[in-house]
Amino acid sequence: MQTVIVTGATSGIGLETARLLAQHGMRIIGVGRTEAHCAQAKQSILSSVPDAPIHFYAADLMQRREVLRLGALLAHDLEGNSDGRLFALINNAGCARSWYRTTEDGYEQQFALNHLAGFLLTYTLLPFLLHAGGRVIMTGSQSHKGAKVYWQDVMLSRNYHPLRAYKQSKLCNLLFAQALNDRYAAHGIRAYVVDPGLVNTDIGTKEQGIVRFAWRFRKPFGVPPAIPAQTFDFLCRAQEHPPGLYYALCREKPYSSAVGKEQAERLFILSEQLCGITYGEVRA
Amino acid sequence: MNVMIMGAAGGLGRAMAVECARRGYHLFLTDLDEQALLCIKAGLERRFRTTVVAKACDLTDGGSVDAMLCFLDRNGLKFDMLLNIAGTDFEGSFLSREREKIVQIIALNDAATLRITHAILHRRRQGRRFVTLFVSSLASMFPMPLKATYAAPKRFLLDFATALRQELKGQNANVLVLCPGGMVTNDASAAAIAAQGIWGTLTTNPLEVVARKALDHALHGKRCYIPGVLNRMLSVLGKILPPPWVAAAVYWRWHRAQRKWLNVPNAHAR
Repeated sequence: MQTVIVTGATSGIGLETARLLAQHGMRIIGVGRTEAHCAQAKQSILSSVPDAPIHFYAADLMQRREVLRLGALLAHDLEGNSDGRLFALINNAGCARSWYRTTEDGYEQQFALNHLAGFLLTYTLLPFLLHAGGRVIMTGSQSHKGAKVYWQDVMLSRNYHPLRAYKQSKLCNLLFAQALNDRYAAHGIRAYVVDPGLVNTDIGTKEQGIVRFAWRFRKPFGVPPAIPAQTFDFLCRAQEHPPGLYYALCREKPYSSAVGKEQAERLFILSEQLCGITYGEVRA
Repeated sequence: MNVMIMGAAGGLGRAMAVECARRGYHLFLTDLDEQALLCIKAGLERRFRTTVVAKACDLTDGGSVDAMLCFLDRNGLKFDMLLNIAGTDFEGSFLSREREKIVQIIALNDAATLRITHAILHRRRQGRRFVTLFVSSLASMFPMPLKATYAAPKRFLLDFATALRQELKGQNANVLVLCPGGMVTNDASAAAIAAQGIWGTLTTNPLEVVARKALDHALHGKRCYIPGVLNRMLSVLGKILPPPWVAAAVYWRWHRAQRKWLNVPNAHAR
């Protein structure tokens, strides 16, 4: 049975993706922020897919030490239950922040969760992905178009605006996927970004200020999370690695011209520095 | 520049640490929370490649402070800047608060701040300008019913900083007192600000901007920094209007706001 890890799996797109993949016979490892949310999500999936092989881990992925702790737990799980193979990792957990706020490491929270958490978790699970020739899928956004990376101040501590920070983090998702493909496609790993479109989720409702204000008007026009879940399902279950980088509604889509090898490599090296890791040391 | 930051592991202290590291300063960080302190130390070193020393310390405990000072002396550490950020608050009316928590506020916000300031002023780097910053609050400008045990110690810091600045004027030193309104530092403070409605939003300032401008003001020899135009106007009103009127207006506002968020544990707006 193929194992898929889904972060941010306790609500919205992550929950529906986990449910759909479970319906299609995948073994699901979900990640949520709290034990209570994890238990609730597990129950929700089991109510629609009884006896689904599903397990949840709680971790606050915004914090680097939590990502590393989770990585160790997942490694133990994969070695024991999946022959050391990870078929797909879905880096879906994300947030929007009205105010500049930092993690324990002093990193801006949107950048930390939307990009760095996925970058670091992928690193910790890379041996298992290499072993299985697996896929790494990020939840992106159309909003990456027109965005740029502020290389001199990537955490935007001098020039913070919530939407600018969000868009940059979503551009980073594409750059990370591009860099992973550049480095690891030859080793059997493929990375993708899914544009879920406008989805009726809770991402902006927990915030105050401009994010809450904007989300209040946009949310009712969003599609149900089950719609973008189909694209994740498509990318996970395709027999051969689909050839593109950016997908929406199960189709390859054009993406920003800011996504290129040079930018991707630059972000990769910066992210390695910020996470205190070196991908090159990892072997299957 | 060698900078010591008290309460560096969270909120404004962490933002100050980031801002100082960005400027290339060498940092000595302390906080009660050792785990969080090690996280911010590692984060700053990875991001800015600057020198960061961190040592956990309970600033309200004389023994713990003495141990930290011994560490400083053993390693010959002297400073050019001291940022007194550590502080605490517990919301609610005076009678609804636990006695010991009231004492804790004074012990950390005032007594510990003085203890550290005295010690570090004796550990200045010779022949260099010294800057110290105290974090008071916009609340220090008014009589604050329902926040009296927070506002009054903050008023103490405001007056103390002003007096100390005068004492140190001939010694190539500056003292800045920062009087911020609300700042979103964590989920609880975000909830507290939201509960105040439009006034909460209008009197709230971005954490990273407050950190940057406070350092600029301190280095430029300013006495007091109140972030935000509206907050500065409110501080003037606090000086003009009769205190009983101000107290009545503040009570009306905080009574409504606290009813909304007092079920949030440890909610505070700084």
